[in-house]
Amino acid sequence: MANRSPRTQKTWSLLGDVRRKPSTYEVTAARFHYHFRKEPAPFELDPGMPLNLWYLKYREGSPFQVDDWEEFRDPYKLTYKDYVALQHDRETYLDLLIDTHEATSSVTRLDPAWVATLRELFVPLRFPLHVLQMTGLYVGQMAPSSFITNAAHFGAADEMRRVQRIAYWTKVLANAHGDELATTALARGAWENDPAWQPLRRACEQLLVTHDWGEAFAARNLAVKPALDALLNSQLADLARRNSDEFLALLFTEFGVDSQRSQDWSSALVRYALEHRPELREVLTGWLGAWQPRVVEATEPLAAIFATAPAAMATDDVIGAVREQHRAYLELCGL
Amino acid sequence: MALLKREEWQGFVRDVDWSYSYVDDSAVFPEWHCGTGKVPREAWSAWEEDYKVSYPEYVATQREKEASAYAVKSALQRSTTFDHLDEGWKSATKMHFGGVALVEYAAVLAELKMARFGLNGAWRNMATFGQLDELRHAQITTFFGHEFIGKDAQYDWTQKAFHTNDWVLISLRNLFDGMMIAPNVVDLAIELPLTFETGFTNLQFVALASDALESGDVNFANMISSIQTDEARHSQQGGPTLEILVEHDPVRAQWVIDKAFWGSARAFAALTGPAMDYYTPLEHRKQSYREFMEEWIIDQFVHTIEEYGLKKPWYWDEFMRGLDIWHHGLQMGLWYWRPTLWWRPKAGVSKDERAWLAEKYPNWEKVFGDKWDVLIDNVNANNLEATLPETLPWLCSTCHLPACNATQSRDGTWRVRDWSLQYDGRTYHFCTNGCRQIFWKDRDNVNHQTLIDRFLAGQIQPMDVGGILGYMGLTPDVMGDDPDYEAWTKDYVGRPVEGISLAAQS
Ligand SMILES: [Fe+2]
Ligand SMILES: [Fe+2]
Ligand SMILES: [Zn+2]
Repeated sequence: MANRSPRTQKTWSLLGDVRRKPSTYEVTAARFHYHFRKEPAPFELDPGMPLNLWYLKYREGSPFQVDDWEEFRDPYKLTYKDYVALQHDRETYLDLLIDTHEATSSVTRLDPAWVATLRELFVPLRFPLHVLQMTGLYVGQMAPSSFITNAAHFGAADEMRRVQRIAYWTKVLANAHGDELATTALARGAWENDPAWQPLRRACEQLLVTHDWGEAFAARNLAVKPALDALLNSQLADLARRNSDEFLALLFTEFGVDSQRSQDWSSALVRYALEHRPELREVLTGWLGAWQPRVVEATEPLAAIFATAPAAMATDDVIGAVREQHRAYLELCGL
Repeated sequence: MALLKREEWQGFVRDVDWSYSYVDDSAVFPEWHCGTGKVPREAWSAWEEDYKVSYPEYVATQREKEASAYAVKSALQRSTTFDHLDEGWKSATKMHFGGVALVEYAAVLAELKMARFGLNGAWRNMATFGQLDELRHAQITTFFGHEFIGKDAQYDWTQKAFHTNDWVLISLRNLFDGMMIAPNVVDLAIELPLTFETGFTNLQFVALASDALESGDVNFANMISSIQTDEARHSQQGGPTLEILVEHDPVRAQWVIDKAFWGSARAFAALTGPAMDYYTPLEHRKQSYREFMEEWIIDQFVHTIEEYGLKKPWYWDEFMRGLDIWHHGLQMGLWYWRPTLWWRPKAGVSKDERAWLAEKYPNWEKVFGDKWDVLIDNVNANNLEATLPETLPWLCSTCHLPACNATQSRDGTWRVRDWSLQYDGRTYHFCTNGCRQIFWKDRDNVNHQTLIDRFLAGQIQPMDVGGILGYMGLTPDVMGDDPDYEAWTKDYVGRPVEGISLAAQS
């Protein structure tokens, strides 16, 4: 029975007859979700048990579906090894940035009126950003191909990165400008009660209960996150610069690098889906039709805080810039 | 260096929960995903891990580890070590690649689930690192396995195995889908990080690494020991979860541990047991499987559960007796159904090897010796036919492994017993009493067709060995065979034969 054929195999037989040897990125992700579209149920358990039904409904049953997701590639082609190397470099940069600012105690020279703006606009940020972490993980958990899951993972870890740096700086601000800045009461109080945060909180809570994988992807990666990223990584960075807060300006600009990566793979995924099934445009625009108004509503009251900073930015300018960035991104997606 | 210590700011990173007003809390955290059960919701706020880590610390250490693991690999790339490795040892690694690579990826989903549905921000953050770790394990394992495809097509199963209906894989999927993907996150944290990762993975990743080094496979040892260094971090999700669960619902905590330990013990008996006691060349064996189990699993496991105020599982005596039986029976099953494997199973019963087995397992000759003698005599009589399967073994409805465990009757004889029960108008068969009891307690989840059920239902066509192998995804270039019949039968050439083998000879 040991009838071995002499031909040398180049790669996984499941990849079919491939002409070139696939890259490391490809061989370490191709067809890893062994349960996707498996018959009679995804997992090797009672086909009627709840988890099988959940995946059948929200993954296999999502309207966001093409025949083959396996050809999708993250434009950055990140493996785990590349991701930790890349982010180690970025974090080394942030460590240096913090060291520089701590060495000169730049935080103590901030205008107290600017600190008051930060108290409103910066301190509560960990709540919505943690939601992006959780929902990014959910998108990864339900995605039909590992090429998507892995990109979503890295993105979720990026959100944790952002929350941690914000936490660090919150404490620095509190040490320089009053302990109250570091209290849960202040951060969660604003998030739960301040009218400016409520529309975003509503959108975040709705995002957490969006279980269809396609809609979860569209709502998070095409609607909520790009708008919030535009507001923070470019508009808040701009506002910080105007208020002589060089550190915060550079910090948010740095977060923009992660957000760009998220947009690059997400837009590539949308284009991939539309290429394979043009009719998915209606599915996506249908979801966006529900989510865009929520996002607009969420950013407006926050944009209004920009107008109250010592060196202010007009609310409409902020809204306009966010809207324009978001529009350009959706255009890149082909939507 | 940053002026603030991690402790000064990390509190905020975990302080990210609030009360929902626009949607139902039960929609954000559905009970069947979150599994709080009798534990009051606010009790989870006490969840805290011992060993904390920040994102920059994480990427710094992990980048370092990755760089060195791959550097060792490429340094070895040019050496000829691989070509000189013993076939038995290679089989142990093929089994590992196929059986483990995509389990690591299933563990990614497990971590993702805890990172999304865990009822505490600190827990969700730890699981966010955990999912990255498991991705690392899946990628490094597939990368290493992929490198060997050109040399040996059986390494193709590193990635393919989990896509097939091979009986070993049905059993592993059933175990790991059930342990890693299906449970609510509380049960999951106790089954995976606590029971599996702080216990059993040590056996496969630390103990097996010492066999690998002995066998000259530095490359493999390098890979698995590097993987194991991540467990200390993410496996700590188990402790704090168990602590809270035990306080509010010790009965559930005990059951979850008991079930996970049993399932893991069965799978390890099927794979790690034969790898250690039969495939690893005799001169390279550090300890027997039983000794490794005692050293790495049993003492530590009993110590851990007692520390949390729990008891040894109800099946403890049956499990301990099984340490001398299960993996030997499974080894015989693996060898006999060798065309269904993606490795070349060594029989490992030459005279010297048998002497070692008899020394480590005093009942070995009595229970298994005569059966191997029949196989040996058939091989020596050039009657290989008689050593090959014509049908399937009876598979257990819980562990999906062959029901081949001998137990000692009161009259001293050893016999394979059938444990069965009636449920829903059907008779189910089990390999052990433990498997039967687990099925009964968990019947709504584990009730799943075995390969035999599928065969009898006509799902496998044609209904012969060829049809079965096709259903299992075996191709001729991969199907397992003994790597060297002579190696273990030549000691017995010319001895008088009796019984079945004599009949077969004439
Ligand atoms: Fe792992
Ligand atoms: Fe692990
Ligand atoms: Zn069983």
